[in-house]
Amino acid sequence: MRSGAFARAGAPLLAAAMLAFAPPAGATGLTGPEVRRVLQHGPWPQPVLRDPSNRASGQPDAIALGRRLFFDRRLALDGALSCAACHVPGRAFTDGRARARGRALLDRNTPSVLNVGLARWFGWDGAADSLWLQSVKPIVHPLELAADAAHVARLIRADPALACRYERAFGAARLAGADAEALLVDAGKALAAFLETLVTGRTPFDEFRDALARGDAAAAAAYPAAARRGLALFVGRGNCSFCHFGPAFTNGEFADVGVPYFVAPGRVDPGRHGGIRQLLADPRNLLGPYSDDASGAAASRTRHVALEHRNFGEFKVPGLREVARTAPYMHDGRLATLRDVVRHYSELDEDRLHADGERILRPLRLTPQESEDLVAFLESLSARAPARVIPPAGAPDECTTAEAAR
Amino acid sequence: MPKLVLALIAAVLAPAAAGAELPVFDAHVHYSHDAWETVPPKDAVALMRKAGLKRALVSSSNDQGTQMLYEAAPDLVVPELRPYRTRGDIATWVRDEAIVGYLEERLRRYRFVAIGEFHLFGADADLPVPRRMVALAREYGLMLHAHSDADAVERLFAQWPQARILWAHAGFERPERVREMLRKHQNLWADLAFRTDHAAGGKVVPEWRAAFLEFPDRFMVGTDTYVPERWHYLPEHARWSREWLADLPREVAERIAWRNGEAVIGGAFDRQRSPQGGAGG
Repeated sequence: MRSGAFARAGAPLLAAAMLAFAPPAGATGLTGPEVRRVLQHGPWPQPVLRDPSNRASGQPDAIALGRRLFFDRRLALDGALSCAACHVPGRAFTDGRARARGRALLDRNTPSVLNVGLARWFGWDGAADSLWLQSVKPIVHPLELAADAAHVARLIRADPALACRYERAFGAARLAGADAEALLVDAGKALAAFLETLVTGRTPFDEFRDALARGDAAAAAAYPAAARRGLALFVGRGNCSFCHFGPAFTNGEFADVGVPYFVAPGRVDPGRHGGIRQLLADPRNLLGPYSDDASGAAASRTRHVALEHRNFGEFKVPGLREVARTAPYMHDGRLATLRDVVRHYSELDEDRLHADGERILRPLRLTPQESEDLVAFLESLSARAPARVIPPAGAPDECTTAEAAR
Repeated sequence: MPKLVLALIAAVLAPAAAGAELPVFDAHVHYSHDAWETVPPKDAVALMRKAGLKRALVSSSNDQGTQMLYEAAPDLVVPELRPYRTRGDIATWVRDEAIVGYLEERLRRYRFVAIGEFHLFGADADLPVPRRMVALAREYGLMLHAHSDADAVERLFAQWPQARILWAHAGFERPERVREMLRKHQNLWADLAFRTDHAAGGKVVPEWRAAFLEFPDRFMVGTDTYVPERWHYLPEHARWSREWLADLPREVAERIAWRNGEAVIGGAFDRQRSPQGGAGG
């Protein structure tokens, strides 16, 4: 079992202690407050906490089952698509398209599932309050895998490798006797257990950040000057880290950053507003009977989520790790490159933002050099070599062979 | 107590949900240049009708949008004039002398019930351009629709004590502060646009309930269609409004939903339109 309690409680103290040894601000080109904000973007990797609403979270057999299901096209009603068809491992678990293509063109860009275990809301609109609910949604969505509970239950029961892993993760009695809906939710939980393992590697930024933390000026100097200048903009004048906060570079919440949200003439994507309404109406949410969290604590966020007018047209603040490998960008993939994204914030259309309260977003009015620096920083958030996830590709499963040998 | 009196009391105190779907007077609608390009007038009118709007107070940057929409649905649209030629004027209009000429030209050509919604805070209200705008409102007998803090509202009343001011978003102030202002100024009304703090899950928050019951004739609802996409939020906003209004006594709910808007804004515009009424144009 992975415990994050110590990490959570200890992180601020550790950061404060590290800061005491940080090199003088002038040596890095960063001010004291900027250094403090940089340190908040680590350390990396962060421990992924076990999801209390998912009894399969962290279980090796559930992870193996989820991995098989993720790549298994039989999960789709017609066998035409798998999760990996859109979340392509070689493309940082995106598909490179502006908007995803399932059985038809969908409304939104395929988000990467890397580091998804650190999130608390899932999907561009947060219509799922758990990773297992988010994993069930595309299975039953009529324009994605278009399956139903009966189809998933039949598949798991009929396939020896899937059935074997399922038995080990959830129990033989459940495999034999549970209703199809329960098996569908369990499939979601197994997929979630697998997705929790998809954590990005260390990056040039992490090396710089840790060097800064331990006061190692020589190691810090290895970080390219352009990336360092871009980082100073990111945590300083640009105030990007206000929303792209913390080790995963996201506050996990939703924002309207002035991106239009018409899907087609006469049709809009309501974003977070629709997501909250969907979530609260979903019998599989954390307030329902499928959560394994007897304490009810995991459902606290769902219990307290409130629908607000500002939610209309808000979308999830994405994490930025591996961002250079997840083009195109924004909820509908309308921006092709990181340079386009930087230009969006540089020339932000303030007319599209409500004049309510403190204005977090303002046009950055970057010079060409500053834009390039910000791109260089964003590119430094990618590991030198992307994580490799090899599909099981129908290989015999250790579980099946072990069972057969008994 | 006579049965008739009891029946009347019961009718007044009955929850609003007991009646048919409430009409809504939407006191905060914009139809700016980007909106009329993506939501043409006939689509905008269809969305207003789908929302069950009785009428709406509409302004735009520039005024062309308001006039197009008024022409398309004079039964639905009550025009007001923003001191903005584009929405970008929000940040600069208070020091832009050209705004005065723009207002004068539009006021000569068209009928309006109000000037607004404008963004004006603190001492900026006493700058020459806002002062000239207030003078024009006085000359034409128009309301002011102010997205302002309480300080700016006070300054507007100081300039023109008989002004009738619709306080947009009620200044995003706490309910206690809104009540103070309503007590102090008889000619102040509050729109609740873009606010959700007064109700959650169809229930009115106690502090706001007290405000609504103390001043049932001074509040209005509004959507605030500040980007084109928000036109598609009109029906949802009306639905949401009806949901929380149903938690108030029916008489109060009806006033906030539409009667106040009709009496204060719609009625004033109808008087302007009548052959005998109105100062302007």
